[in-house]
Amino acid sequence: MDRETRDMLLETADRFFTERCGREVVNGVEKGVWPADLWKEIEEMGLPLIAVDEDKGGAGGTLADMLALLRLAGAHAVPVPLAETALANLLVARAGGVPAAGPSTVALGALTLEGNRLRGTVTRVPFASVADRFVGVAATTEGPKVAVVPAANATVTETPSHAGEPYGTVSFDKAVCEFVGASPADGERAYALAALVRAMQMAGAADKVLGTAVEYCKQRVQFGRPISTFQAIQQMLAELASYVAATIAAAEAAARDADEGGFADGGSFSIAAAKSQTSDFAQRIAAIAHQSMGAMGFTHEHILHHYTRRLWVWRRDFGSETFWGEKIGSAFAKAGPQALWPSLTASAYAA
Amino acid sequence: MSIPKLEFPPFHLPPEAEALREEVRSFLKETLPHIETEDRFASWNTPSPEFSRELGKKGWIGITWPKKYGGSERSFLERYVVTEELLGNSAPAGSHWVADRQSGPLLLRFGSEEQRQAILPRITRGECFFSIGMSEPDSGSDLASVRTRAEAAPGGFRVNGTKVWTSGAHRNHYCIALVRTSGQHGDRHKGLSQILVDLKTPGVTIRPIINLAGRHDWNEVTFSDAFIPESCLIGNEGDGWLQVTSELAFERSGPERFMQNFYVLRELVRVLGRQPANRAASILGRLIARLWTLRQMSVAVAGMMQGGKSPAIEASLVKDLGTIYQQDLPEVARVLAESDATTEEDMADFLDVAQYATMMAPSYTIQGGTTQVLRGIVARGLGLR
Ligand SMILES: Cc1cc2nc3c(=O)[nH]c(=O)nc-3n(C[C@H](O)[C@H](O)[C@H](O)COP(=O)(O)OP(=O)(O)OC[C@H]3O[C@@H](n4cnc5c(N)ncnc54)[C@H](O)[C@@H]3O)c2cc1C
Repeated sequence: MDRETRDMLLETADRFFTERCGREVVNGVEKGVWPADLWKEIEEMGLPLIAVDEDKGGAGGTLADMLALLRLAGAHAVPVPLAETALANLLVARAGGVPAAGPSTVALGALTLEGNRLRGTVTRVPFASVADRFVGVAATTEGPKVAVVPAANATVTETPSHAGEPYGTVSFDKAVCEFVGASPADGERAYALAALVRAMQMAGAADKVLGTAVEYCKQRVQFGRPISTFQAIQQMLAELASYVAATIAAAEAAARDADEGGFADGGSFSIAAAKSQTSDFAQRIAAIAHQSMGAMGFTHEHILHHYTRRLWVWRRDFGSETFWGEKIGSAFAKAGPQALWPSLTASAYAA
Repeated sequence: MSIPKLEFPPFHLPPEAEALREEVRSFLKETLPHIETEDRFASWNTPSPEFSRELGKKGWIGITWPKKYGGSERSFLERYVVTEELLGNSAPAGSHWVADRQSGPLLLRFGSEEQRQAILPRITRGECFFSIGMSEPDSGSDLASVRTRAEAAPGGFRVNGTKVWTSGAHRNHYCIALVRTSGQHGDRHKGLSQILVDLKTPGVTIRPIINLAGRHDWNEVTFSDAFIPESCLIGNEGDGWLQVTSELAFERSGPERFMQNFYVLRELVRVLGRQPANRAASILGRLIARLWTLRQMSVAVAGMMQGGKSPAIEASLVKDLGTIYQQDLPEVARVLAESDATTEEDMADFLDVAQYATMMAPSYTIQGGTTQVLRGIVARGLGLR
């Protein structure tokens, strides 16, 4: 979609999320209330199909369009599987399928496929207990395949994430698939794309944390003046801004590289670096924001935790800085010191 | 939300800049082995007039300046690539760095035609080097409080006062000094001007100030009734503060703010060997990811500047994060090498390298605006002050 269309869509979505994803809705999901109306409206707006071609009922956007939308969703703590469904739909469409309606999620892990029966167990599947179907990628002798399993054919053990979202362990025991299709993205790539989605959501959430802390400190009066006028607070928030800036810059650069480099393997180094970077700074961002907001920021009442808790969960999802750092470090060590600088400037794994 | 959005729009260096990168790389491969320096790991403050002359011959100093002053009229982004390649390949680029980055551009923007013609071509040839004469014993972060005075005298000025921390003044040809030309000490930024000082001028005395590592980079530069001709005033009398602030903005987001000790990372890759343990690989990879991010940020700022914007807050953020990265790097690397270097010998050697880097690291968050001063600028941008 062209720049103008994307900006319009983002503007509309921003207004919609502001109105419809307020505190009560986010807290409701945590108590186990599924916001069916919210999901219905998100579907009516076509958001889960943003990166699906028009002939398959989608909006015809690119991966970059989808990621821009999900950064925005991260900035609103949208408490439904928009990110997961958008990615699942993209994987299905690229494997020749037509995405079905309803909330979906990705189950990315070691899976085996025999005919149209899927086997394997995946832990920490986001929104596992509310998804209508699971989308995974299995390696087969004919190459990677996308497999779609209806919820009824899988077993889910719910273990909510620390952000209160219904994560869970999903087991497929010769689960009958409703769709199987050859996939241009293998399992590792699907995992990387999920990591990139999380990096962009973290960019959105980080931005929101900064804005929230800045606003709060301008309002809060102690010793007869807004605490934002204390130099100690100014210095803390400026430091916070630097970590938020790094988070945004890393995620955006990886989104660009993944989009431009092609669906099957574009930006693979940049994605690894971005998820390592965003995960690395999540704690610094959360820590400073909480410190600057005192006890109020630690309450359930205030919205700050909608974002800081998600940062803590998302940094762990689809590979933390330990996982992605190891991938980068192993490849760069193998290539040796002389390859370091050329690889960095090329945003590529050392050859 | 009323706070300004922090954005670092991903930016691609254009093809001509990437083509230049290849040229610079092959030049460095040929040239560097023949350049003698005392530093094993040179950087932008390791001087080598010999290297600067070689670089000048290629047209890579003052690369963006007009041809009539010896420049190559190439883009700011091409300059970016040259500077990052010098850093990435540990070239001793210290002699010409300040002249190329800030003194030359300052003269180009504010200097007289006579000053430009006399100085700029020599800078581009790698024959004329500059120092910065801003700080004084009583004026550091609070630069507007400078006391050095230039009193009007027939045909010019009589200058009295003391500058400190003047890097390279004992090796360089000129210094651009921020001085009071009118008004009183308390007038702050009003009445300040910059003057071009030939460091051989009678009445200008240069004494070494040795840093904690025993190195002589800094100097104290005293002016005792030194006569500076009228023709050496830069721009209009009273415009000094405007000039200084525009200079500082330019020096903040460049790659020298996160690549000054890049060699530590490269040497770390060497000592960890080709197959480090998972934990070591992970720590290494995180350091690489942070450096990659800084580069993306810095390139994004360069792109915004090329596009005519002045991203002052973003530039300050790059320097803040970058200089702190350079302080973290040797410490993380030191501990990692102690547990994971492949041989005892490599480890011992690397610990010396890392220790030296740690020793130099405090300076990064002081020079060119301290961390606290930068964060003050960012806080203002966030609407907090
Ligand atoms: C390696 C190196 C090379 C240098 N080269 C040059 C050179 O070539 N030419 C030149 O002119 N100068 C040079 N300098 C000097 C440099 O510009 C100053 O050191 C710098 O501006 C800080 O001033 P200061 O050292 O006087 O510290 P001070 O300003 O005295 O600061 C001391 C501490 O107080 C803090 N502080 C000060 N004001 C505030 C405030 N308002 N709010 C909060 N905290 C504050 C600072 O952040 C710092 O932590 C160099 C410095 C270094 C380290």
